[in-house]
Amino acid sequence: MHEESDWALIARAKQDPEAFGLLYERYVGCIYNYTYYRTGNHQDAEDLTARTFYRALRRISHYVDRGAPFSAYLYRIAHNVVANWYRDNSRRQIISLDELVTWVFRREEPASLAEEHENQDLLLQAVRQLPPERQQLLILKFVEQMRNAEIAEVMGRTEGAIKSLYHRTLEALRQELTHVEYGREEITGRTNHD
Amino acid sequence: MTEEHVAGVLAAYTDGLIGKPETVQPIPITDEEHGRLAPLFQLAGRLQQSMRPVQPSAAFVRNLRRELADNARRRIALTKRLRRSALIGAAALGSLLSIASVVGAIVFVVARLRARAQETRAIQAPTG
Repeated sequence: MHEESDWALIARAKQDPEAFGLLYERYVGCIYNYTYYRTGNHQDAEDLTARTFYRALRRISHYVDRGAPFSAYLYRIAHNVVANWYRDNSRRQIISLDELVTWVFRREEPASLAEEHENQDLLLQAVRQLPPERQQLLILKFVEQMRNAEIAEVMGRTEGAIKSLYHRTLEALRQELTHVEYGREEITGRTNHD
Repeated sequence: MTEEHVAGVLAAYTDGLIGKPETVQPIPITDEEHGRLAPLFQLAGRLQQSMRPVQPSAAFVRNLRRELADNARRRIALTKRLRRSALIGAAALGSLLSIASVVGAIVFVVARLRARAQETRAIQAPTG
């Protein structure tokens, strides 16, 4: 069956609620993954995904096609929603339910598995320390498994610029991880010594 | 070894890693380049292992879709109501303006006729 294009659905969504529902179904997974990897937990990812689509719905009647894919528009909204969320949450320190559950379960795990999970957590935490556009690049590359040309379209850059940004991102991430792992060894060494 | 070349090699390696190779031919690299890029290749492998797609719960997707559809229906209905009200308002204003202009025209004509009648009477009246 022929799938209706994004542009046709956007035009129809101004008059037909069902058309916006189809756009939502097409992109809810991408936006959920983006918000999940930006925040690190499912509750906030759900909340921010909902906010992103509500905002998109409010603005759909003013949407102007500038040649970029509709997903670029949604990612831009999600980026702003996540930025607001970080600003609002910066005043209070929160341990999410996901983190709490993970921490409780990890205490029961065998040491090797626990270490593997800990390394993974460290890596994802280091990713979340990167500037938002670098995080977006890694999410589009590894989670959405997009080609460089597709990432370039979504992020409004050239393919060459994306490759270069990817290289700089991995270099920055490697340095951040070295720093974090060195700090962890220092703490472990001090604890063992005490 | 240019920055562009290194970025190209790293991008090609990662594309192969995620199963989306853009070039069939592998890009040739020297031992020095490989040595410099090895930690980044390893990091790309760790990212590929750690950044897997996650699925939102089916209940969340279903509920949000229903809420968005309800919201969209209300929004479209409100827009239609506002448009209809604006149309009725504009029509009423237009009608009022038409009536006012007709009344104005009648008043003008009557005033002109009266003025002319007065002028005629003044000319016909005996002088002295």
